[in-house]
Amino acid sequence: MMLRVQGLAKRFGGLVAVSDLDFEVTEGEIFAIIGPNGAGKTTTLNMISGLLTPSAGRIELAGRDITHANSAERCHAGLGRAFQVVQPFPEMTVEENVMVGALYGAPGTSNAVARRRAADALERSGLDALRDVPAEELTLLQEKRLEIARALATAPRVLLLDEVMAGLRPAEARLAVGLVREVRDQGVTVVFIEHVMPVVRDLADRVLVMDYGRPLALGSYAEVTADARVIEAYLGRDDEEDEA
Amino acid sequence: MDPTLVLQGLVSGVLAAGLYALVSVGLALAIGVIGVINFAHGEFFMIGAFLAYQLFVSFGFDPLLSLIFVAPALFVIGAIVYRSTIRYVLEAPELNQMLLTFGLSIIFQNLALLIWGGDPRSISGVPYRSIGVQLGGISIGLVPLGSFVISLVLVLALYVGLARTRLGRAMRAVAQNRVGASLVGLEVDRIYLVAFALSALLAGIGGVMIAVIQSPTPTVGFAFTLKAFAIVVLAGLGNIRGILWASLAVAVSESMVATLVPNGDALRNAVFFAIIFIVLVGRAWRRA
Amino acid sequence: MRRALPDVLWTLALAIVAALAPTLLKAGFDQASVSYLSLASNAMSLGILALSWDLLARTGQLSLAHAAFYGAGAYAAAVLANATGVPIVLALPLGGLVAGLLALGLGSVTLRLKGIYFAIATLAFTEVLKAVVQELPTGLAGGAAGLNVPPLFRPHFVPGQMQRWEIAFQRNEAYFYVYAALLVLTIAVSIVVQRTRLRAAFTAVRTNEAVAAVMGVRPARAKLLAFVLSSALVGMLGALEAMRLGSVIPDGTFAISTTVFALVTPIFGGLYTTLGPILGAGVLSAVEETLKRTFAEGYLIGYGVVLVASILFMPRGLVGLATRLRRRRGGSGTPAAGDAEGPA
Ligand SMILES: Nc1ncnc2c1ncn2[C@@H]1O[C@H](COP(=O)(O)OP(=O)(O)OP(=O)(O)O)[C@@H](O)[C@H]1O
Ligand SMILES: [Mg+2]
Repeated sequence: MMLRVQGLAKRFGGLVAVSDLDFEVTEGEIFAIIGPNGAGKTTTLNMISGLLTPSAGRIELAGRDITHANSAERCHAGLGRAFQVVQPFPEMTVEENVMVGALYGAPGTSNAVARRRAADALERSGLDALRDVPAEELTLLQEKRLEIARALATAPRVLLLDEVMAGLRPAEARLAVGLVREVRDQGVTVVFIEHVMPVVRDLADRVLVMDYGRPLALGSYAEVTADARVIEAYLGRDDEEDEA
Repeated sequence: MDPTLVLQGLVSGVLAAGLYALVSVGLALAIGVIGVINFAHGEFFMIGAFLAYQLFVSFGFDPLLSLIFVAPALFVIGAIVYRSTIRYVLEAPELNQMLLTFGLSIIFQNLALLIWGGDPRSISGVPYRSIGVQLGGISIGLVPLGSFVISLVLVLALYVGLARTRLGRAMRAVAQNRVGASLVGLEVDRIYLVAFALSALLAGIGGVMIAVIQSPTPTVGFAFTLKAFAIVVLAGLGNIRGILWASLAVAVSESMVATLVPNGDALRNAVFFAIIFIVLVGRAWRRA
Repeated sequence: MRRALPDVLWTLALAIVAALAPTLLKAGFDQASVSYLSLASNAMSLGILALSWDLLARTGQLSLAHAAFYGAGAYAAAVLANATGVPIVLALPLGGLVAGLLALGLGSVTLRLKGIYFAIATLAFTEVLKAVVQELPTGLAGGAAGLNVPPLFRPHFVPGQMQRWEIAFQRNEAYFYVYAALLVLTIAVSIVVQRTRLRAAFTAVRTNEAVAAVMGVRPARAKLLAFVLSSALVGMLGALEAMRLGSVIPDGTFAISTTVFALVTPIFGGLYTTLGPILGAGVLSAVEETLKRTFAEGYLIGYGVVLVASILFMPRGLVGLATRLRRRRGGSGTPAAGDAEGPA
């Protein structure tokens, strides 16, 4: 098992953002997490990458308990993360941003290897031409690509992607889908959050549906989209139209 | 331990807390409402002290009377400083604000040194300076008591003003959300100007008091800047009630050490800053 | 990493100029050069102070404790000289060691403090350390009156063959070289930080600590390393200054003004660069000296005006101004965001 989450919960004061969350992701799988806005998806990734301390529960990466590890240790253990709200280092160029992940993502990386890894990540995410541009001058779409490039550069075993396709045009989305498949084919496990349903359908081996912080359904795309509770959760409330 | 000595330390500490709170509340206004790290805050305090001194020497004005002149003067000085410098660094990094206000502090301090020299100045001729009440072995000076009462009244007035008046509500609105506030048509720049001028005014009034309580030199301001910063940070940014408690805590501890520990007067600053250090560090580790 | 090369060239040039200066001055082996040498040492002292502070600031830690480490180094030298018989030269590394260890301690407990909270905690630390030193047994640290410190150099005076000012010249010249050596060391440390992966770590931690950690950077390690490097360097400076000035005293040696100059100079020159703090130190020293000679009294008013004007008209310091001018002349490139909006 590559990633295992057991009984995970997070409370913010009185608000229960995540509770009773269990799931497992096998090696080489592409695993999707979907759910309405505020369902607790990003909060879940934040707990997995060590930015939030869980109120309860346990997280394992490749058999190792990482519940109490800090973010850097989790990264070294093989977790890569792209943020929903893009967080580039604005004072650095695109290449320097990616180099941070390449140099520090895996302990013991030499400068030469890091440079190669960064170049590879830049090329794959289509940022080659922008390598010397200051990150603060990028457009939002370019920033999203930078998120992916930086995460890839850390040489992850598990890649966590938070809504990296939101706002992409269909052609761009197809490219991104291709990129994720390619990454998986090289042995990387992918966990991604997505609102764009065609992308989920094309990519995901399995889909976890969250609602109000709880797991609502888990299974193949066809299974979960046929689930009455899921349909109710999505159609019963109409807070999605701006995203889809 | 002598109980009257303990009580004396407690009373002196409580009285001293008023002045700390007054100066800190002004700084909190600058930090909270305007978002500017003002290391020149104590210079307004110093200017207040020396204006009061000058009015006393030149015209024989009683410090209480001179408040009528000093307070508006500081308001105007604050407004000028805001207009000519502060408003240009509102969006700048903290460090730029620090350099700018350090520069202002150097200017004011050295102007004062040029005018008044480096020797301590005091309003020693005020008749009530040495009057005090004796209460069961404890002495309460009229001047510290008066300054405590005035400070408390001003701090409470500010507190109520921020909560109840239109201007106060506007200040809190811009403090919380600059963009949103400018959208609803508040004149942010004007509100900042008033807030900064008010902050200078409060510090200046504190300065008038110090001119009666102690014998300040032109360098008195910076020490108060540092202490006010420490109190504001201890209270938590933007928390006026917290400032009252923080001032009380540090002033009483300072005074206790000064009265109870032999040779303790030299330790005042150390105690003050040790408390700040321990609380800040402790809070950071507990929160995480 | 792109801008590292010009950095190296500039600092190398400065170091060479510094090393040659006394030789050039020797052409005027005269009484006037005595004070020039001491001015040059003062300027280099400011450069070391500023650049070592900048090293720490590169990780986003706005320290107001620089005076504490300067003072710790100075006192380490003073106590060593007074309490033991070891050669005074050892005071330099000892000052660095003591300050570095102290920084390791302070840095560890303040790791979680950010921004103004960190600044105030480090300021408080300085005041407490000053009081602790003052309260140490008088036999050890001299109490409020301080201690005398033996000089690093004792010039040979040959009566009849030398004039009195030649003693001062010899002494100032010797110190000049030690300051130049310490400056070169500080510049070298700074260049290493800028040219290796440390730069990426420091910048990442400064701009977004949480994200840096997700990218695998260990923020605690980066921050502590910067703290120790920065403090060890300024600790050595403190020791050196104690020997040059001949005494330490709590109120002066731990004066907050040391901290103020340590942070004002890099902001004025240009933060997070090697060149900026050095350039800032040179220009500010020159400005101060010129003002001092022009206006005997109140010259610091002019100094304050220069600081205020610099922030209003060149918010990114001298280095930022130079970059902007170069870009404008080149005609290409976009002005960096937030570059300048003075009260035009
Ligand atoms: N730091 C926080 N403090 C308080 N509440 C938070 C915090 N972070 C998230 N929340 C709340 O937790 C809930 C879950 O938020 P989360 O960001 O995980 O949702 P999400 O599923 O990612 O939604 P979206 O699809 O909009 O990105 C929301 O109600 C949110 O307001
Ligand atoms: Mg989300």
